[in-house]
Amino acid sequence: MKNIIRAEKVNKIYPNGCHALKDVSVNVDKGEVIVIVGPSGSGKSTFLRTLNQLETINNGAIEIDGIDMYARSTDINKLRQDVGMVFQGFNLFPHKTALGNVMLAPLKVANRAPKEVKKDAESLLKKVGLADRQDNYPNHLSGGQQQRVAIARALAMTPNIMLFDEPTSALDPEMVGEVLDVMKDLAKEGMTMVVVTHEMGFAKEVADRVMFMEDGELLVSDTPNNFFDTPSNPRLQKFLSKVL
Amino acid sequence: MQLNLKSLFWNAIFVLVLISVCWLIYASGKRIDYNWNWERVVPYIATNAASSINAPADGEIVLAANNQLVLQNLSGDTIVELGGYSSLSVYEGDLIFEGDSLATIEEWRIGPILQGVITTIKISAWSLVFALFLGLFIGLMRISSNPALKKLSVVYIELIRGTPLLVQIFIVYFFIGTVLDLERFTAGVIALSVFTSAYVAEIVRSGIQSIPKGQMEAARSLGMNYPKAMIYVILPQAFKQTLPPLAGQFINLIKDSSLVSVISITDLTKAGREVVSGSFAPFEVWFTVAALYLILTSGLSWAIQALEKKLSASD
Ligand SMILES: Nc1ncnc2c1ncn2[C@@H]1O[C@H](COP(=O)(O)OP(=O)(O)OP(=O)(O)O)[C@@H](O)[C@H]1O
Ligand SMILES: [Mg+2]
Repeated sequence: MKNIIRAEKVNKIYPNGCHALKDVSVNVDKGEVIVIVGPSGSGKSTFLRTLNQLETINNGAIEIDGIDMYARSTDINKLRQDVGMVFQGFNLFPHKTALGNVMLAPLKVANRAPKEVKKDAESLLKKVGLADRQDNYPNHLSGGQQQRVAIARALAMTPNIMLFDEPTSALDPEMVGEVLDVMKDLAKEGMTMVVVTHEMGFAKEVADRVMFMEDGELLVSDTPNNFFDTPSNPRLQKFLSKVL
Repeated sequence: MQLNLKSLFWNAIFVLVLISVCWLIYASGKRIDYNWNWERVVPYIATNAASSINAPADGEIVLAANNQLVLQNLSGDTIVELGGYSSLSVYEGDLIFEGDSLATIEEWRIGPILQGVITTIKISAWSLVFALFLGLFIGLMRISSNPALKKLSVVYIELIRGTPLLVQIFIVYFFIGTVLDLERFTAGVIALSVFTSAYVAEIVRSGIQSIPKGQMEAARSLGMNYPKAMIYVILPQAFKQTLPPLAGQFINLIKDSSLVSVISITDLTKAGREVVSGSFAPFEVWFTVAALYLILTSGLSWAIQALEKKLSASD
């Protein structure tokens, strides 16, 4: 089976000299759910952001759906439509309603007909449980609701891959569940997902593979069972003993 | 209740201070040897004084077929029909020479001061539109990652902000105006828009930079290119942020427009100066001019506040 994401020896060095990714290689199959864990500053966000080129890489190669991200002929804006991203801070557009947030990209990027876009956006909001909140502005929504709108917004471009960068870290504990539930549904539907999170429960339950990063290196990539129950890497053991 | 009383007290103080200031102005007006004559200003704002209709060419007054008087020129063609006027000053058979008064009419006409107001509004409105677009453009150059664009915009902003508007008006009119053969009005609009745009550019820049980075990232991650992300995500938010400083800048623009009177554009200020010399009521005229500027600026300020309110639905 062909990998939907192929990252080959990716290196990222920030302009300030920080070597954030060191020879990171990851292959993801279609429909796989990958969870990445690791201590703060280990390069998890950086790696995720290289997958839709919010960060450019210094060395290595990234292929999405067989397309070389850094090939001359690649239209990055087109490629990004295939890779949805959900941010820790939601990043909803405050000047648009929930519905407006979901509709913006299909209207302005895909240039689809407004009527059709509206229908799809409404059913996406229904899917994340916010049918009754579609006319609310983000500032009038709770954190959990905002994050669910953000997921709907990312799904509106019908991506094949979804990236989640600590989607529940900015939420009050009682709202974490509603967002994780939406993500679980998405995983069940067969969405390819790469999730950076501290929710170990989610990793155990939903992930096909769990990866451990530290100091810019990808040290472990294993099934949840092996990862949590019989970790062999001493650095992972140390990390797990702290977070579990 | 306690709070209410207190605020009532201070509001009363406010009104009291205003009244005393007005009284002081009034009293000082009385003290000096000056005859206040406000009604003298009125005809310069608008007047319905009679004006005469003059003959455009030599001719003769004859009774036309429909029993109405007309002015015929020497070859017998009708050149002015007089039927519509009630107060005629000619009779049938009169010989008329070019420039003779044929009739007088009374109608409301705007005086030179109101004419000046219109010119000021026109020049300010044109300059406002150009300054907004030019400023937006320069502001975007200013935050561009392209060093050439960025440095050009910095030079532009520093150059324009570092020289007086009056000097810029002279340069645009006498130098650029001569090279490109510009009209006064055009030269005035160019000078004002260029001057204002430098300030607008800085306002635009700070407005855009005040939008969190995540907004651009979210927009780009959805597949928007940079211009689309700017137009649909960043600028609408930045616009809201920049409305208050923009309002201030555009009020300055209206006031600055008074400087174009130096290149003989008859705006409100120049009209005021001209009227003063003919009306023998300098104080009244200048107070009137000030009041008219105040009406223009507060009108703009009110309009922008209304717009701000409309945009605050998402707060
Ligand atoms: N824009 C940047 N410029 C310079 N250095 C950066 C930048 N972003 C991240 N870094 C550095 O790169 C390293 C990896 O950062 P990254 O944000 O990827 O870590 P992370 O694993 O996501 O951490 P966290 O769990 O705190 O989100 C860190 O040392 C960080 O200081
Ligand atoms: Mg991070």
